[in-house]
Amino acid sequence: MITVLSRVLGHEYAGPMRRTVALMAATAIAEGLSYALLVPVLRALFGGGDAWPWLLGFGTAVAGYAVLRYVSDLAGFRVGTSVMHGVYHRLGDHLARLPIGWYTAGRVGEVSALAGRGVLQAMSVSAHFLAPFISACVTPLTIVAVMLAVNWQLGLAALAAVPVVAAVQVFAARRSVATDAERAAREHDAAARVIEYIEAQPVLRAGGRTGERFRLLDDSLRGLHRASRRSALSALPGVVGSALTVQAVFTALAALGAYLALGGEIGAAEVLATLVLAARCADPLLALSEVGGALRAAFAELARLDAVFRTEPLPVAPQPVEPSHHDLSFEEVTFRHGDRTVVDGLSLWVPHGHRLAVVGPSGAGKSTLLHLLARFHDVDAGAVRVGGVDVRMIDPDVLMSKIAIVFQEVYLFDGTVEDNVRLGRPDATDAEVRAAAKAARLDEVVERLPGGWSAGVGEGGALLSGGERQRVSIARALLKDAPIVLLDEVTSALDPVNEAAVHEGVERLMAGRTVVMVAHRLRTVRRADRIVFLDRGRVVEEGTHDELLQRGGRYADFWALSAVG
Amino acid sequence: MGVLVRPFVGSFALVVVFQVVGAVAGLVPLLAVVELGRLLLQAGPLDEGRVWFVVLAGAVGLFVRLVFTAASSGVGHLLDGRVQLSFRRRLAEQLGRVPIGWLSGRRTGELAKVVGEDVSAVHPFIAHTPGDMVAAFVVPLVSLVYLLTVDWRLTLITLGPVLLAIALVPLMMTPARRREQEEFDGAMGRISDSVVEFVRGIAVVKAFGGAGRAHRRFRTAADEFVGTFSRWVRGVSGIAAGMQLALSPPFVLLAVLTGGAVLIGDGSLAPADLLPFLLLGLGLTAPVASLGHGFDDMQAAHRAVGRIRDVLAVPPLPEPAHPATPEGHRVELRGVRFGYDDDHEVLRGVDLVLEPGAFTALVGPSGSGKSTLIRLLPRFFDPTHGAVTLGGVDLRDLADRDRNRLVSFVFQDVHLLRASVADNIALAVPHADREDVVRAARRAGIHDRILELPRGYDSVIGEDAGLSGGEAQRLSLARALLADAPVLVLDEATAFADPRTEQAVRRTLAELRGERTVLVIAHRLETVADADTVVVLENGSVVERGTPAELVARGGTFSELWKGVAQ
Repeated sequence: MITVLSRVLGHEYAGPMRRTVALMAATAIAEGLSYALLVPVLRALFGGGDAWPWLLGFGTAVAGYAVLRYVSDLAGFRVGTSVMHGVYHRLGDHLARLPIGWYTAGRVGEVSALAGRGVLQAMSVSAHFLAPFISACVTPLTIVAVMLAVNWQLGLAALAAVPVVAAVQVFAARRSVATDAERAAREHDAAARVIEYIEAQPVLRAGGRTGERFRLLDDSLRGLHRASRRSALSALPGVVGSALTVQAVFTALAALGAYLALGGEIGAAEVLATLVLAARCADPLLALSEVGGALRAAFAELARLDAVFRTEPLPVAPQPVEPSHHDLSFEEVTFRHGDRTVVDGLSLWVPHGHRLAVVGPSGAGKSTLLHLLARFHDVDAGAVRVGGVDVRMIDPDVLMSKIAIVFQEVYLFDGTVEDNVRLGRPDATDAEVRAAAKAARLDEVVERLPGGWSAGVGEGGALLSGGERQRVSIARALLKDAPIVLLDEVTSALDPVNEAAVHEGVERLMAGRTVVMVAHRLRTVRRADRIVFLDRGRVVEEGTHDELLQRGGRYADFWALSAVG
Repeated sequence: MGVLVRPFVGSFALVVVFQVVGAVAGLVPLLAVVELGRLLLQAGPLDEGRVWFVVLAGAVGLFVRLVFTAASSGVGHLLDGRVQLSFRRRLAEQLGRVPIGWLSGRRTGELAKVVGEDVSAVHPFIAHTPGDMVAAFVVPLVSLVYLLTVDWRLTLITLGPVLLAIALVPLMMTPARRREQEEFDGAMGRISDSVVEFVRGIAVVKAFGGAGRAHRRFRTAADEFVGTFSRWVRGVSGIAAGMQLALSPPFVLLAVLTGGAVLIGDGSLAPADLLPFLLLGLGLTAPVASLGHGFDDMQAAHRAVGRIRDVLAVPPLPEPAHPATPEGHRVELRGVRFGYDDDHEVLRGVDLVLEPGAFTALVGPSGSGKSTLIRLLPRFFDPTHGAVTLGGVDLRDLADRDRNRLVSFVFQDVHLLRASVADNIALAVPHADREDVVRAARRAGIHDRILELPRGYDSVIGEDAGLSGGEAQRLSLARALLADAPVLVLDEATAFADPRTEQAVRRTLAELRGERTVLVIAHRLETVADADTVVVLENGSVVERGTPAELVARGGTFSELWKGVAQ
């Protein structure tokens, strides 16, 4: 737990955190010790002596405790805040360094939740739970020490309870970890089912299944119900167990005290003072299981954060080499995703300024080739080279500056059209931005938009159509003016009007650059210098359009499929 | 909401009663110690039997408390599970009924959050609130009454720290504090927006150089968030720490002992009567102390219930009271106008007839209203003006069942479920037999691919097998074919995933020709060329219609489109 905490916090915060914990522990000890003065105060009050000097001492001790407590409360808040600041920054920096390949669809939701409430919950550890937790552990122990000093028999009885209470706590925590994990898994599953169900609504409705109980979803809701029942029931023995021990010890102390008092071995004042002290132990101990549960939940978030932090970004070469030209090559490249070999011993060469088209059935690994060139992932074997230099030896920023990518799915930031185009080259002049937009025929779109250039595009570009977003993305790439262009099925989901516009933009983008394009629509492929046909991660055919047609192989089949009306 | 909760009221009452019995029994051991004190401190010989009786009574009290609180907690948690299941089922049912238009205006993730997290947030209400409330109010009240009977002056003194803490509460509610709280909520929203944007746009961030704009925005949002957080904490923490201090056991004990010393000193209080205050007095702080953290949960639960209620309150599209019977399956749109919001009309008076057996291609630039038009047919929305009729009957007067029997759809975005391939195909026709499923898959050109999967038609998508985009689209075509309705509406954007899928769609369309009414949002010239009628939609109205040859000859929008692609 502690190692996870210090790893997530970062080393610079470990010191202040330790000091805060020490301060909290000191406060708890001060509280316990101040209770020692209850014994003489009560002896005086019950025995008819002068209580005032002792009471004054107790008052002084309470004042000391108050100062410590105030300081440590504030320290808790302060450390929590500064740690939160550090964690957010570290998380942001780390996320920016992680390879794009790490970001699967599911990760987006997971990481967003983590960075939002996750960090806050993890940090609430220091602000809200740490102090009660430490106080619940340390104060009773101090009180037991005080009891030992007052009366060794009663003290010993209380001391004997310490390992039992600790054992019950540990047992309860272990028990709930497993069922909590199961419940979390079920929650995850149910959430996925709900999303599925909502997304499938058009199909379900069109099929007349309106408002009907949907079996897949209902099964998973019932699964969640069962899991949460199990986790609630399994937590019960722990809660009952710790209550039972604490109360049994209290009763035992009362009985022992009565016995000793009856035997005349101890004064009434001592017995009563000890029982008041014991009552002071009981409350924090009973709260311990609750605070412990909250702490565990917070630590679960910490563990998730830790898992993200421990994901290594792709290594950066210590002495990066800058490529001087821009031919591209794959040498015996193998890349696996999980158990699946996506690219299998593939070799390819694209000379500087040439256009290579990659064709093949879906799932053949076409897009992966582009991802490997842009180093979204690292290869498992072989090498990907740009200008003869292994991409792993090139500074990531330099590599990115040489590549312009246009994806099928375009993501736009919630800003204006202009902001989004300018992302291609932030220091471009207005004239350059306009020129790029015109070349991508984005100017037509801008004219139509209310607000023109300064029109917002909405979250993710939701206010623009697919074709319009694609034009923004091409304008961006044109503005970037990179020597290497990667195109991933750019026109495959567009209607005829947008397709014509985008096509024109793409032609301008490709002029004079080294291009690798993945395409389904074979019309666009025809004019490439060379075409490779990919299947199951291997090149099965390679040549110009005419050569491949003549060969009468897979490509020719594909061509026939898509050309015959 | 009331209907939702009613079946659980009985069990809930039981939880509360158990909790009260347990909590009051929990006072018995403390009272036993008080009694023990009186016995020990009284002058004269000790009554041994009575001492042991008191100790025994304390032990019994403890046992009763243990049994009842455990029972209450157990029943409460079980009840909680049942309530959550029933809420979730009710929500799922509602999501299956609300207009698709309402669904599409919301983020799927947010709705999933209502069903998941928001229902879970109700948990403390049921499982913990009774216990917390009893601990916070019943126990202190009983103690207060008892202490008042012992000595009213010392009771007031004991209440001193509580009053001090309460006096600090208004300081936490000042306008400045409220403003800070609101700012904090706002900053929280902004940071989660910016992290979503950051993560979703990561490919762009990276492709345009490491220190991208979203990264900066995230950092700014984080700084701003931490800033407001610390302002809020700085404003509140002093007061909160002060309150905590006033309620802390040493401080309360100090007050009690000081008051006790004065009263014992002037002889107006028996020393033994001090004991109940030392043991029970601390409990009086519970109501105020619990205000702090229990309150946050309660507020969160309250907000969650509000969101659940909002979803449950959405009215479904009205069902006809007396459904009319359609004759034939001629589809007609008459003067149809529609907009997603009031100030922006997407369809501006569309007239369109789909004769039985006709093949109609719908073309037009993006944003012209094609997808909206076909979404009116399954009644995802109702037109704002005009009417859509099927077999001569307005869709609004048609039973859902008849509409679904007559029209089937292939939508642009395909969603496969994590279920077997067969279940996915039979999604809209859950009781279809395997033969029909296989026949539909064959016609959609996906049968052979399915046989290649590890468990054929029983392979679970996402577990045993993943399908590519094109394959998923063919599977969705099989879904529509299985429904076997006389009218098929298809968005051809689906056809572009790969040549094989294109071919499957084209072959299907050719086979269905003359046999079924087909309306296609056409993206391919080949499809358009095959159509009996081409309808060109622009800006929400039909601008041209006719056979493909006529339209090319006319030299209007269509012929321009045609040239643009054919070049």
